Amino acid sequence: MALLRGKRWLLMGVVAGLIATQALGAADAPTENQVQAVFLFNFSRFVEWPPQAFAAPSDPFVIGIVGSDPFGARLDEAVHNEQINGHALIVRRFRSISEVDNCQILFIDRSEIARLGQILAALDHHSTLTVSQADGAAQRGVMIQFATENSRIRLRINVDSARAAGLTISSKLLRPAEIIGTDVKEQ
Amino acid sequence: MRKSSTPIRRTLMNMIFLSSGVVLLVTSSAFCAYEFLTFRQSSIQQLQILGRAIASNSTAALAFENAEDAASILTAFKSDPHIVAAALYDIRGKVFATYPQELPLDRLPAQVGKGFSFSRSALIGFEPVAEGPKQLGFLYMESDLNAMYSRMELYALIGALVAALSLSLAFLISRRLQYRLLQPILALADTARAVAERHDYTVRAAPTGAYEFDLFTDTFNQMLTQIQESEDKLQAQVGRLNLLQHITRATGERQDLPSIFQVVLGSLEENLPIDFGCFLLHDPGAKTLSVAALGKKGIRFAESLSLLPNGSVPIDQNGLSRCVGGQLVYEPDVSQVAFPFPQRLSAAGLRSVVFAPLIVESQVFGVLVCARADGQAFSSRECEFLKQLSEHVALASHQARLYGALQQAYDDLRQSQHTVMQQERLRALGQMASGIAHDINNAISPVSLYTESLLEREPNLSERTRNYLTTIQRAIEDVARTVARMREFYRERDAQLTLERVEINRAVEQVVELTKPRWSDLPQARGAMVDLQSFLADPLPNIMGAEHEIRDALTNLIFNAVDAMPTGGTLSVRTRKATVADGETRVLIEVSDTGVGMDEDTRRRCLEPFYTTKGERGTGLGLAMVYGMIQRHSAELEIDSAPGKGTTVRLNFPAVTSSVVSQPKAKSAAVVKRPLRILLVDDDPLLIKSLQDTLQEDGHLVTATHGGHEGIEAFAAAAKRGECFDIVVTDLGMPHVDGRKVATSVKGVSPTTPVVLLTGWGQRLIATNDAPAHVDKVLAKPPRLHELRAALAELVA
Repeated sequence: MALLRGKRWLLMGVVAGLIATQALGAADAPTENQVQAVFLFNFSRFVEWPPQAFAAPSDPFVIGIVGSDPFGARLDEAVHNEQINGHALIVRRFRSISEVDNCQILFIDRSEIARLGQILAALDHHSTLTVSQADGAAQRGVMIQFATENSRIRLRINVDSARAAGLTISSKLLRPAEIIGTDVKEQ
Repeated sequence: MRKSSTPIRRTLMNMIFLSSGVVLLVTSSAFCAYEFLTFRQSSIQQLQILGRAIASNSTAALAFENAEDAASILTAFKSDPHIVAAALYDIRGKVFATYPQELPLDRLPAQVGKGFSFSRSALIGFEPVAEGPKQLGFLYMESDLNAMYSRMELYALIGALVAALSLSLAFLISRRLQYRLLQPILALADTARAVAERHDYTVRAAPTGAYEFDLFTDTFNQMLTQIQESEDKLQAQVGRLNLLQHITRATGERQDLPSIFQVVLGSLEENLPIDFGCFLLHDPGAKTLSVAALGKKGIRFAESLSLLPNGSVPIDQNGLSRCVGGQLVYEPDVSQVAFPFPQRLSAAGLRSVVFAPLIVESQVFGVLVCARADGQAFSSRECEFLKQLSEHVALASHQARLYGALQQAYDDLRQSQHTVMQQERLRALGQMASGIAHDINNAISPVSLYTESLLEREPNLSERTRNYLTTIQRAIEDVARTVARMREFYRERDAQLTLERVEINRAVEQVVELTKPRWSDLPQARGAMVDLQSFLADPLPNIMGAEHEIRDALTNLIFNAVDAMPTGGTLSVRTRKATVADGETRVLIEVSDTGVGMDEDTRRRCLEPFYTTKGERGTGLGLAMVYGMIQRHSAELEIDSAPGKGTTVRLNFPAVTSSVVSQPKAKSAAVVKRPLRILLVDDDPLLIKSLQDTLQEDGHLVTATHGGHEGIEAFAAAAKRGECFDIVVTDLGMPHVDGRKVATSVKGVSPTTPVVLLTGWGQRLIATNDAPAHVDKVLAKPPRLHELRAALAELVA
């Protein structure tokens, strides 16, 4: 009897767990921004920065957002307690390019695309990986552009820009991405 | 043979196959196990390497959720055909991409696992997908094990082929090696089987050339040799036992020594065998051994040994003396023994000799001699056998002797019984003869008395009458002598011998005459002629002796001589005087015949009582009586005899030394002149009448009474009247009251009155001086007138 009763309790526990998971999954259905936030963080794994990118070894690895923040707390959650090569990851939000100072990844929100040339110019000679979700951003010199195809997020990478910034993008990252050259017209 | 035994060839083959098979199996198993393990290991490694590469490549796809890319990365698994399924799981455990792409999701594990593991038919593994420290997801891989199985099948096939080849090779090689190894063993086994089946212990295993096997074969052959020796010994022993039994039975069936000895010697010569055998009997007195029996086969040795039947061998200080002492003596080589008898044996060509004593009751009575021409020829077992045999023979001999003695005693008993009966018959005959003689004497007494009286008292008789009366008187004398001799011959033996002078020639003549019917009439009746010749020396000295005994002895000798000449011959009787060295004179009587004679044995035994060669006709007492007489007379007896040469018996008496040749019988001429009162007592009226007449004619007063009773009364009455008789003449044998009682009564009344006894036994009484008490004179019947007168004159004067 004791065994039977134990099994019954186990069964009830499993059923309860399943219900909870369903509820959580439904609540946690990732949005495009959420995925992009994770992707933004993931870039830190597949890109190699030159040593001069950090002024000091204790400098944090900064993921900057210029323009409006589409991610909200999601990005903060994604980078929370993460480190890249001994550098603590932090997220900084900039209202304009002028505020930008020494960040390793800079997300250029679609809201700032009008000032893209200015931004890119300001980042020249900086080893900063530029990322944007704005259409055609890659052709205009942004290193990585999120592109949504069939409700999936695809990467378009401007290898030349990255190389010019002294960044090495892992071939692994290149493999699923679409390689985009800089549109001369844009420049 | 044990039922479950397997031929060594098959056993060896089984062993080789088993050991090779096990070795092959173990090796193959180890090899396969190793292959299996290493294959699993390498499979895992290969899968891991592949998985790591794929995982590494798929990090970006996972990180950036590019499923198509991930799927295309997974197609790299095509390089390995054994990978049947693969999938990428994201960090949350959700399937992100599959290989092949159309793979149903339920084919994949619902839960993400860890590491590699083998299921029944597949190798599955999870490889983490990570970029740097960041875990991105998992790669699932599934590789089927067909490769491994097909490889194992290949190995098994190869292994089976190798095993088959190896075993075939092992079979061929082992067959070849086995042949070399097994050949000696099988040969040995064949030999052993031959021995076991045929019981032929002479076969031997052939050497093989291999050291151990030769050792084995040698040992086996030695064993066979020993078995064969044992078998031979056993056979010999059984043979000797059979021989012993045969001899024992054969001796048991015989009761006389010579045939026992012969059968033993014959068996020994035939079956032991020996070259020469003989039995020697021991004579302790002479310290010699006499040859009792010789083996037939060894007779040629006996001739060169000069050992003849009944020959003798002296006991010197050689083996014989030890043997006579009771030991079995074995001389392995007599040529090395310096004593005479062994040297004789050696010279005869005999080398080894066994002397076995024949012992009965701790006494060696003989020796069994067994010899062989070869030296060292008797084994200890044979010596032992001969010892046992000699004991048996001794026992059998002893029994034969006992049987012989028993037979002898039985024969003697029968003979003595026969003799007793004979003597009883003789005694009865003698008594009858005495009675007849008495009656004849009584009957002729008147004739004798009247004839003598007529011749004496009638001077006027005519010449013719006188001649006739003289003839009658001589005839009566002859009758009286004949009757006396007959009585003498049949009379009973005296206990004591009274010696008197004996005229030998006269005795011889008497015997010759008395036995005439035997040597003359009886042989003639059956057509044989015995010529009796007497050669009597004259003069011849007298001897002292009992004449009747001498006569009996001579009678016996003449009877024997006649019996020895069944077909006739010459019987000689000689008497002669001989003077021996010290001057003593002796008288010899020889009785010779030309008959069959006696052999040595008979001659030796002929004096024994009851020994006879005449069978039922003889008593065996004749010569014994002669010998007894000879001993009583201090005389000597010699017998010369040989078979076919006749027999001479010589009696040798000492002669009487005095020169008196014969004592003349002085006839008393004295006659009583005065008339005497004579009482006659007799139961025979004729005798009384004739005595009364003749005595009255001499002038005497004779009173005759009939019978003893009347005589005693008449004597008593006369004594009462005072007219006592001067002399009493009485007969001895009368009914109721005999002469002795008459004499006693007379002496009781008048002790001085002489009594004369007349008797038919008178001569015997005279010869032995056996006069009864109260009798003054004994006179024989028929009474002679002159003797009667002399007696009267002697007694009354």
